[in-house]
Amino acid sequence: MVGMWSLPSWLQENAPPPVPQAAPRRSSKRGFIEKTLHGIAEALKNEIFSESLASRSGLLQGLDPRAKLVTILFLIGIAGVFHHIFSLVLFNLWLLWLAKSSQIPVGAFTKRVWVVVPLFTGILVFPALFNVVRPGTPLLVLFHLSHPVKLAYWTIPCEVAITREGVVAAVLLILRVGASVSLAVLLTLTTRWNTLLKALSVLRIPPVFLTVLEMTYRYIFLLLHTSSDMFMAHKSRLVGRANSREGRRFVTSAMGSLWGKTAALSEEVHSAMLSRGYAGSPKSLLRFEMKRSDWVWIVLVFIIAILFVGGDRVLG
Amino acid sequence: MHIPDGYLSPSTCVSFGVVMIPTWIAAARKVRNWLKSRYIPLMAIGAAFSFTIMMYNVPIPGGTTAHAVGGGLLAVVLGPWAAMICVTIALAIQALLFGDGGIWTFTANCFNMALVLPFIAYGVYRLISGESQLSAKRRWVGAAVGGYVGLNAAALCAGVELGLQPILFHTASRVPLYSPYPLSVAVPAMLFAHLILAGPIEAVVTALVVRHLQSYDADLLNVQALSAAPLPSTPVSYRKFWWALGVLIVLSPLGLLASGTAWGEWGAEELQKMLGFIPSGMQRLAGTWSHAPFGDYSLPGFESFWSSAIIYILCAIIGVGMISLLTYLFWRFQVAERKEQK
Repeated sequence: MVGMWSLPSWLQENAPPPVPQAAPRRSSKRGFIEKTLHGIAEALKNEIFSESLASRSGLLQGLDPRAKLVTILFLIGIAGVFHHIFSLVLFNLWLLWLAKSSQIPVGAFTKRVWVVVPLFTGILVFPALFNVVRPGTPLLVLFHLSHPVKLAYWTIPCEVAITREGVVAAVLLILRVGASVSLAVLLTLTTRWNTLLKALSVLRIPPVFLTVLEMTYRYIFLLLHTSSDMFMAHKSRLVGRANSREGRRFVTSAMGSLWGKTAALSEEVHSAMLSRGYAGSPKSLLRFEMKRSDWVWIVLVFIIAILFVGGDRVLG
Repeated sequence: MHIPDGYLSPSTCVSFGVVMIPTWIAAARKVRNWLKSRYIPLMAIGAAFSFTIMMYNVPIPGGTTAHAVGGGLLAVVLGPWAAMICVTIALAIQALLFGDGGIWTFTANCFNMALVLPFIAYGVYRLISGESQLSAKRRWVGAAVGGYVGLNAAALCAGVELGLQPILFHTASRVPLYSPYPLSVAVPAMLFAHLILAGPIEAVVTALVVRHLQSYDADLLNVQALSAAPLPSTPVSYRKFWWALGVLIVLSPLGLLASGTAWGEWGAEELQKMLGFIPSGMQRLAGTWSHAPFGDYSLPGFESFWSSAIIYILCAIIGVGMISLLTYLFWRFQVAERKEQK
C-alpha cells in the first residue's frame, strides 16, 4: 500500500497517449527548438568554414589585415557611387576574379552572394517595377483599364506597365547590394576573426572597444553552446509536441536564465582578470607589419577605383 | 530591420557616423565611470548575450516562429547606455561575421537599434514602472510597453532613412540610385510590419523574461545596483571652449575672400542672373524678413575689406553673445526650478 501512495499523481492519471498515432505528415516542418538548434549549429559551422578559408594562401589572405580592411571599406564606398549598370557589372566581375584568386570556392561564393541578394532585394524592389507604385516611362504594358481606379490614397492608372526607371533602379540596387555583400564576404572569409579585430585599430577604434569585441566573440561561442544544451535538454525531456504557449514560456525562461548566467559569468571573469593583475588597461600581443606588396595593393586599389568611377562618369 | 549595404547612400551612412561617434564616446565614458574595471567583462558578455538571444526562435500562434531583438530587455536590465554598447557590439559582430546588416550602413543600423530602441524603451519603462518594487507588476508591464514602443520607434527611423533615399539621390532621368521607395511607401510598410507582428512579439518576450527574472532572482533586473554610487560630478572647465570660439570669431571674415555666394544661398537677384527667372515660390517668400539690423552682415559706409571684416567680427560677437546669454538664462531658470522642487 505504501508503494501505491508514493506513486506520483501524474503517473496515476490516464493521460492520452502523448505520441501522435500516425506519423506526422509534415515531418519536414521543424519546431522552434529544432530551428534554434539548427541556427546555432549553422553559425558554428560557418565560423569553422571561414577559419579554414582564411588559412589558405590566396591573394587576399596574403595581405596585411589593416591594408585589406581599409581597401575593402573604401571599395564598399566606391560601390555606392556608381550610376550605371554597366560599370557595376564590370566591378562585380572584378570582385569574382578576386574571390577566385583568393581560393574561395566560386560555387559557395556565388551561392552566398548571387542567390541570396537577388532573392531578398528582388522581392523588396519588385513592386517598384510597376507604374502603380512609381510613375515612369512604360517599358512593357501589362494591361489596360477603362478608367483610373482609386484605391485609398493610391490611383491605379489606365495603363498598368513595368517602367523603364523601375527596371533600371531594381537592377542597379541588386548589383550594388551584391557588390557590397561580395566585398564584406571577401573580407570575412579571408581574415581570421582575431586578426580582423586587431586590424580594426587602424580605424582609430579605442583598444577598450576592441578588447570588448574580442571577449564578446569568445563568449558568444560559450553562450551558444549553453543555449544549445538548454534547448537539447528541453527537447530530450519532451514527448510529442509542445504547444505554442508552453514554447514561449520555455524560450523566455531560457533567455532569463541565460541572463542570470551572463551576470554571474561576468562577475567571475572580472575576479579572474583582477587576480591575474588586470589594472584597467588591456594589452595586445599581436603586431602587424606592412610589406611592400601591401603598399602596392593599396595604390593599385586606388587606381582601379579611379578607373571604375571615371568610366562610370564618362558614361554620363 | 538590419539595413544592408547599397540601400542607403554613402553620404547618409557618413552622416549617421557623425551622430554616432560622439554618442559612442559618451556611452563608453558613462559606463566606464559607472562600472570601473567590471566594465569590460560585463559589456563583453552582455553583448554576447544580446547576440545569442537574437538567435532564439520564439514560437508564435499559427505555428511559425520569429526572432526578438531584445534591445528593450537589455535596456531594462543594464540601463540604456550599457545596452547601447552591447547592442552596438552585437551588431558589429553580426555585420562582420554573419553578413547581417551592411558595413557602411552599420552607423545607421546602430542609430536605429542601439540608440533609439534602448533609450525609448528605457524611457517608457521608467515612466510606467516609476519607483515601484523590482517584483511589482508595473515593472513587467513597463518593460513590455517599452519594448513595443522602442522597436516601433526604431522601425519608424529605418523607414524614414529608406524613404528619404529616392528623394535625395537619383540620376538625371529620376532613376533612384538606392532604396527606391518614397516616404509614403517605406514608412507605412516598416511600421505596419512592426506594429502588427514584430512589436507584439518583442513586448511578449520582454514581459515574459522580466517575469521570469522577477520570480527567479529579482536582483538580476537591476544590474545597476551592482556598482557603487555614481561619482560626484567634477566642475567642467570651459576655457578651451571659449578659446576655440574666439578663434572662430576672428576667422569669420574668411568668407569675404571668396567671390560668389555659398551654394544654395543665392539671393533672388543672383538666381535671376543664373537661371533667367525667379521661381515663383521664392519670389513670394524672399521679402518675408527684411528688418535684420545688419542685413548681409554689413552696415552702410563700411564697404572696404577691412572695415567689413570688422563688421563681421562684430556680428559674430553679438550673435555668440546673444546665444550664450539665452542659454545661460535658460540654465539659471532650470537651476532655480530644481531648487524649488527640493
